[in-house]
Amino acid sequence: MSLSGPVRIAVDVGGTFTDLQILDEQSGATHAVKTPTTPDDPSKGLAEGLKIASESLGFQLSQVTALMHGTTIATNAVLQRRLACAALVTTAGFEDVLEIGRHVRKEIYANRAEERVLLIPRRYRFGLKERMCADGSVETPLKPAAVQAVIDCLVATKPEAIAVCLLHAYANSAHEEQIAEAIALALPGVPLSLSHRICPEVREFERTSTTVLNAMLVPTVQGYLNNLRHSMSTLGLTAPVYLVQSNGGAATPETAAEQPARLLLSGPSGGALAGEVLSKALGEPNLIGVDMGGTSYDVSLVVDGTVRQIAEGEVDGCPVRLPMVEIRTIGAGGGSIARVEAGGRLRVGPDSAGAVPGPVCYGRGGTEPTVTDANLVLGRIDPGFFLGGGMRLDLQSAEKAINDRIADPLGLSIDEAADGIIRVAVSAMAAAIRLSLFEKGLDPRDFALVSFGGAGGLHACDTAEALGATRVIFPRDPGTLSAWGMLSSDLVHDLARSSLMPAIASSSAALDEIVNILLDQGAAALDVDGVAAERRVLPLSLDLRYPGQGYEIAAPLADANSIAEAAANFHRLHDAQYAHCEPHVTPEIVTVRCAATGRLAKPKPRPFDAPEQARPKATRPVASAGTRTDIPVHDRAAIGPAGSLSGPAIIEEAHSTLYLPADWILRAAPTGDLISTRREGEA
Amino acid sequence: MSAINAVELEIIRNALVAAAEEMSVTVWRTSRSPVVRDILDYSTAVFDAEGGSTAQAARMPVHLNSMARCLLDILADHIAIEEWHEGDIIITNDPYSGGQHLPDILTFKPVFLNGRRIAIAGVLVHHLDVGGGAPGSYHAEATEIFQEGFRIPPLKIDEAGIRNQAIVKLLLRNSREPEKVGGDFASQLAALDIGVESLKVIGRRYGADQLAEASRRIQDQSERAMRAAIKAMPDGTHEFEDFVDDDGIERDKPLRIHARITVSGDEIEIDLSKSSPQAKGPVNCTYNMTDSAVVCGVMMSVGSDIPANAGCYRPIRITAPEGLCVNARSPAPVANRMAVGHRIVNTVMGAFAVALPGQIPAAYYGVSYVYAFNAFKEDGSRAVYFDLECGGWGAHPEQDGASGFSCGFHNIANAPMELIENDYPITFQRYGLVPDSGGAGKTRGGLGLERSFRVDSPEGTFTCNFDRFRTPPYGLDGGAPGALGRMTLTRVDANAVTDLGSKVSGLPVSKGDVLSLRTSGGGGYGDPGARDTNARQADLQDGYVSGGD
Repeated sequence: MSLSGPVRIAVDVGGTFTDLQILDEQSGATHAVKTPTTPDDPSKGLAEGLKIASESLGFQLSQVTALMHGTTIATNAVLQRRLACAALVTTAGFEDVLEIGRHVRKEIYANRAEERVLLIPRRYRFGLKERMCADGSVETPLKPAAVQAVIDCLVATKPEAIAVCLLHAYANSAHEEQIAEAIALALPGVPLSLSHRICPEVREFERTSTTVLNAMLVPTVQGYLNNLRHSMSTLGLTAPVYLVQSNGGAATPETAAEQPARLLLSGPSGGALAGEVLSKALGEPNLIGVDMGGTSYDVSLVVDGTVRQIAEGEVDGCPVRLPMVEIRTIGAGGGSIARVEAGGRLRVGPDSAGAVPGPVCYGRGGTEPTVTDANLVLGRIDPGFFLGGGMRLDLQSAEKAINDRIADPLGLSIDEAADGIIRVAVSAMAAAIRLSLFEKGLDPRDFALVSFGGAGGLHACDTAEALGATRVIFPRDPGTLSAWGMLSSDLVHDLARSSLMPAIASSSAALDEIVNILLDQGAAALDVDGVAAERRVLPLSLDLRYPGQGYEIAAPLADANSIAEAAANFHRLHDAQYAHCEPHVTPEIVTVRCAATGRLAKPKPRPFDAPEQARPKATRPVASAGTRTDIPVHDRAAIGPAGSLSGPAIIEEAHSTLYLPADWILRAAPTGDLISTRREGEA
Repeated sequence: MSAINAVELEIIRNALVAAAEEMSVTVWRTSRSPVVRDILDYSTAVFDAEGGSTAQAARMPVHLNSMARCLLDILADHIAIEEWHEGDIIITNDPYSGGQHLPDILTFKPVFLNGRRIAIAGVLVHHLDVGGGAPGSYHAEATEIFQEGFRIPPLKIDEAGIRNQAIVKLLLRNSREPEKVGGDFASQLAALDIGVESLKVIGRRYGADQLAEASRRIQDQSERAMRAAIKAMPDGTHEFEDFVDDDGIERDKPLRIHARITVSGDEIEIDLSKSSPQAKGPVNCTYNMTDSAVVCGVMMSVGSDIPANAGCYRPIRITAPEGLCVNARSPAPVANRMAVGHRIVNTVMGAFAVALPGQIPAAYYGVSYVYAFNAFKEDGSRAVYFDLECGGWGAHPEQDGASGFSCGFHNIANAPMELIENDYPITFQRYGLVPDSGGAGKTRGGLGLERSFRVDSPEGTFTCNFDRFRTPPYGLDGGAPGALGRMTLTRVDANAVTDLGSKVSGLPVSKGDVLSLRTSGGGGYGDPGARDTNARQADLQDGYVSGGD
């Protein structure tokens, strides 16, 4: 094999594997490569993957036009607390805003408080005597003595990074800029994150949390990007490298180094982007993307062909107020533990055996039966073909654990208990998905499910059935799906500025001023990125609310003279989301946004070499509803678009297994994705 | 028809909880007033065909069990189950017919499948205003319930699917906020229909008999789990008491809340007979409110993991004679029932701490720090800034109490100050932890909060409903109590700081005046001398403790 033309590469560095998708830009063909992740310096594994890809596919690194890079480096730094020791400067009297947070607890009857992450201890938070008002006017001017007092504290503390978040800095950033100048002089080289640059939005706690996370990530992420630059130049890769952000858009390493908080959801956003591409390719406007791994269950949504985004998310309980792909994490996965509780209740999850000790069948010391153990016992997983044969599973131990801990206490057979664990897990997952759609006024029956991740294929059809959905898509190359999604990324700079004003025509002048600032910022950023004029788009939107509401809805804005149209749109969106609107009430503008975008060329559709009609490679006894029957086992690579398969059947592929229940039919789409459909009359 | 097994039972339970959650999301999604949406003051529940609760989506402990009790009261004293027909909706807000206070309107709708009643759906929503002597129906000076708002005895607002619009009109004509209340009320009734539809789907799928059996067994599972938790406690009788500052009318008369708990085998009796007589002012609880508070205290002590339904209340017997502040007799006022309610939770947990030394935390702050500033602006218009604060958690024997975090009977978010300053004529002066407010101990109580703001409108009035200004949150096992709450006013033209009481009604303030609230901290646990040296050092470095003593 040899690729002679231009090549685009996307790499998703996950916790265990580094996934690569290599795109032949001329033919549209893609190739998947998987290598182990090197946690100490992930750029090494990435370089190794590139080397393997170029050798096995026969291309030179000089043919590479762009490298799109998804990374968990920022997320893992937060989860594992590999963060810089930082100091925080606030308006005096408000040093504790970061610690107080928003009061609401998740466990309402617990008598010891759930852990709340405190990113910067009180001793490293310093108050600056100054004050801005909500309208941006100065209430207390910043005096040199006040600046010096804070500088003295910082110099004595010697922080590795500094965050500054002053009240109403989104409305007037002068004081943040003044203290920044003084800090740069007194503590040269210490990375500094200013709230009006990182997150110029109203809401002091959320802005502080975002700015602080950003500051604490800078040294880690900068270190990694230096390694990456070094690895790539050693390798001889000269193509531009782009980091995939939480919003699914790409950023240059320079932007990422300054704003690492924008990388916090980098990995999962690739999967969501893939959903958007699949939606177009398959003509399915509404998709529920379900990524079920060993310990996690991430749900994303494509509605009317566009992946749903939110203005604020959280990482490890810390709010991050930056636009990101909306991913709902549900406590479920192959590792979810089944237990019989006091009172005789069979409960599955939310506790998980994780990867260590993992399910009983991994033989790593796990003693409590999990969803994966139940799948093995039922025959849905082949003990010799887990992870494509990469890991041998211990069937007997799994059977014993399910027998002793579930079947015996409940008076069930082992198969009934195993089947029960799956059914309970599916009912809980389906209920959680239903609810997350319900919150948005969406009906799961209008959606098809897209299943990926190692553990998803075994339950996708059952979950769809419980949701009332009738179609499930098993995408091609599910093991590197996130990387494939990243091939379609654009360069995106999400810019924002809060400024509260009524959404009426007389606000046009004030709005125009902000819009021009954002458009100038966007143009400047795209200049730096070297994006040609014809590839630029700078869509505007407004976050609007009815006065007094505590939340906003984004409505598109054509220009500063089109406030009335945006307001009318807001009323309509409010009605769709909340089932009512108040057309006679003037909405209020809270935040103005611009998503400055540099469009990259979209990959051509992938050709699919359809194999002949599927022949099962084997049969295997699989238990369903208490009885065991021999059902066919297919190799995914052997399934083509001609004809279709009927359930029950097992389909095996490199890193996962699909289970097609009775009542479901499976066929390959011309794109190579598998589509399974529930038989008519059964729904 | 075969008996259902543990798997089907759990799947039906998931479906019933989902039905309650979907009703809850519907209220959240479609309600109009920010109070409902942001403060999440509503709950939804699913009941079996006879009115026993099977699943709830409680956002706040204060609602726990209250709908279940209310429904049982309605069935026993007002509308017998035989009179509940398809398409009926039963409504009440009457504290003396099973409710808690008038703004909480409860609605119930029976679910029928092929002519057979298979379940009941219930929705409770706190409405913005149902009339009475003060905005929000919080009249701090009320001495009888007739001053607190519009009262709806249990009756049918829908009969066979036909709505009695006269009741809706009466309700809205008596509200200061008819549009918002009308909208929220519509969303409450819409949520009820969502619940009915979900329950019909479950009924069709599993059959009426299986659903009935599942409901019974779900309750039995919780009952067994609660009995097991109680049985794990040593038998015996334990007493505890705590106090509410006053009722806002008789300012020098603290109210005693006393609990005697008797553990015997797998049952527990909680006797509140030695509590004070009912108060003149509106701090009283009706029986159902007390019941919710007691159950909250029991759950927080021993049962946090047990699914809440009719089963887990069976082994708990509550004695609260009528005429006391824990079971007020009509027409006593009840609007600020949270004052006594929080203290019942504190007291019940205190009694459990005697029974289970080393397992129960010291007292949390124990007040919903509710206040309202009614600004009179230059242009003559008014704007009401309403807010609610919390304080410190009691120290747990193995962990310091959390600072400034919702605990116990309520669970409410604070609003961003930057948005408040955009919306109302005030400027915050400080929002922070209060050093030294956490009770000292081997483990320290959580710190209370200080919130100060300056009045920027020409005039205005200030109202608050606080407590814990006289009796601090108790410490345990040698731990010191948390700091008292404090409310001060600094007039623009005087340097002196004036201490206000815990309950203030319509105090006139003017531009430049500064109002400052300090909330109570949590109690400490164990001998302060036994505190770990590093923890003590860290407290000093972080200024949680000033070390000036």
